[in-house]
Amino acid sequence: MSQLKDPIREGLARGWKVMGGPHGPVPEKITCDVAIVGSGAGAGVTAELLAKAGLQVVIIEEGPLKSSSDFNQKESEAYPSLYQESAARKTEDKAINILQGRCVGGSTTVNWTSSFRTPASTLKYWQDKFGLSGYSVEALAPYFAQAEQRLNITPWLVPPNENNDLLRRGAAKLGIPASAISRNVKGCWNLGSCGLGCPTNAKQSMLVTTIPAALDMGAQLLVETRAESFELANGKVTALLCRSSRSSKKKTALAQMGNGQVAIKIVAKHYVLAGGAINSPAVLLRSGAPDPHGVLGARTFLHPVVMSSSVFEQKVEAWSGAPQTIYSDHFLDTQAIDGPIGYKLEAPPLHPVIFASTVPGFGQGQHDLLKSFPHNHTLLALLRDGFHDESRGGQVKLRGDSSAVLDYPLTPYVMEGGRRALLSMMEIQFAAGARQVLPLHELAQPYTSWAQARDAVNVLPLKPMLTRVVSAHVMGGCGLAGNERQGVTRPDGVHWQLENLSIHDGSLFPTSIGANPQLSIYGAVNRLAQGLAKKLAGRDVTLA
Amino acid sequence: MQRRTLLKLSAASAAVLIVAGGAAALLQPGLKGGVLSDAGREVFSAVGRAVLDKTLPADDGARQVALQGLLTRVDILVQSLAPHAQAELSQLLALLASAAGRRAFAGLSQPWPEASIADIQHALQDMRLSALALRQQAYAALHDITAGAYFSDSSSWPLLGYPGPLKI
Repeated sequence: MSQLKDPIREGLARGWKVMGGPHGPVPEKITCDVAIVGSGAGAGVTAELLAKAGLQVVIIEEGPLKSSSDFNQKESEAYPSLYQESAARKTEDKAINILQGRCVGGSTTVNWTSSFRTPASTLKYWQDKFGLSGYSVEALAPYFAQAEQRLNITPWLVPPNENNDLLRRGAAKLGIPASAISRNVKGCWNLGSCGLGCPTNAKQSMLVTTIPAALDMGAQLLVETRAESFELANGKVTALLCRSSRSSKKKTALAQMGNGQVAIKIVAKHYVLAGGAINSPAVLLRSGAPDPHGVLGARTFLHPVVMSSSVFEQKVEAWSGAPQTIYSDHFLDTQAIDGPIGYKLEAPPLHPVIFASTVPGFGQGQHDLLKSFPHNHTLLALLRDGFHDESRGGQVKLRGDSSAVLDYPLTPYVMEGGRRALLSMMEIQFAAGARQVLPLHELAQPYTSWAQARDAVNVLPLKPMLTRVVSAHVMGGCGLAGNERQGVTRPDGVHWQLENLSIHDGSLFPTSIGANPQLSIYGAVNRLAQGLAKKLAGRDVTLA
Repeated sequence: MQRRTLLKLSAASAAVLIVAGGAAALLQPGLKGGVLSDAGREVFSAVGRAVLDKTLPADDGARQVALQGLLTRVDILVQSLAPHAQAELSQLLALLASAAGRRAFAGLSQPWPEASIADIQHALQDMRLSALALRQQAYAALHDITAGAYFSDSSSWPLLGYPGPLKI
């Protein structure tokens, strides 16, 4: 357990209004100016700005309130307590494992701090194809700048760890440009445990920035409280229905499913849905929200990720040091955005559980790979989905128990991008001096030369399930559009059919971003929330 | 494999699944009270022996202790799964623990506790490369839960050469 100061426990001691879970029961009825569903990137920015405008804000978070005193850098505790479905959320066909946060701060509490503004090419596509003329580099620039200042997003000047430097060196040998990633940290200890909750409060997540700011201004936070559905009447939301999401270890799966009593009713003047992609569309689906054009939950994107694992003579210790500090956009920038799918390259951190469950197979081969852990270097490619007719993303649906599930077909177009990405990553790893390289595919073997690896991957069947595909970036499903036929949400963030409902999270994006999305959410939502504050309270407020 | 053979195989497997699935109500569930049932333990114990074959201690006594540790960690992992995932895993383990399901779905003739490591690995490999999505999904679940759970405890980290998190 961290012995450092814990700003959350200090805030609680100061009298923050936090209820739910261990913080005491939530009343059956709450009235407020604005109810915000979620506490992640979009919700946090919105909560701070609306509270600053003098509005009474209630934040509803499904996950628990955990903080630096709880963050012990262990996967066995972090995954069940901080991630959606214990970090085992999967697409409907189980071909893609999805990492998303489920705690106060949402995914910002567990992400790897990579911060990029929305690429100009992505914004251009939105302007051209979705009627989003206001979403230009120039118009968004001041909102990004404020978010960067508020969250201390700056280039990471510390030398990269070996895991990231291998990407830099390998790419350089091949003449592929690679650059440093900006990070939202202040006084970072370079531990490498960002994904397990920052134990030193260096990461400027929503947990330690905007949410505390909102609570200090009198906002209420309901934790372990799940937003179930909206009550709707005459084109407006009239109430938000919630229930306790606290699960008892003694309960069986069946008992938990039967525990669906709606216990809490929140009545607000305005509602902000920011539960993250997959969950936000699911709230609207459960509510029977109007969807005259069949776009709700559609076009949900993942940046499907393929990976190449390699072994070096020297120690890499990919668990140690700031994660993801070097990237390459070479394979995004060198082809048309609506041509063959492009991909971004990054070097993820590795920890025992995620590493061991990802090492393919069993027996001697698996054992050898497990033993190589300190020498292992893995690269990942984020495939830029959503810019082509054969990459229309997935559809959020509800299961019989009303939980959300994403049906995301991995099309041949996407998987062929996966093949090119595997080839690029393997070539870089060999160029960096890898002794062996293993693309994560059930039919692949460790290869000891680039020629051998290239020939093998060129004929591998790049099928879902056989190819290991993961995602940590869920986007879309309540897409922005300049007309109601193309999206769920108006350019000002308000639902096209429900006038007192705004959507302020990654579900807004009409395509994937083509970069780690946290700063895209901060920037876009910063502008939307400032507009909302002006509309509801008549006041000009800013983040920074 | 010829497309025709492949189709035949898929159809046969699907038919067996329907039969076995229809009888699922009669099978012992794989989870009971949110943790592995006896049937579930039997399957995971065998899968653990096969998946972690070279990784478990060679000494028989130490191996048994390590396998017990694995089952405890699988229980902890299972408790934290979402209700729908628990329900699916329970059904999968029930099916695999039944004689008919074990033979048809895993292709394993011997009961799990008696099967050799080589036979279980062969069965796992068949599921891994199966043309039937359900069998591939089953392999992925068994593999990932086993490996992930085993290395979730610090007692297993020396094998990985992982020193554990820095104390702060």
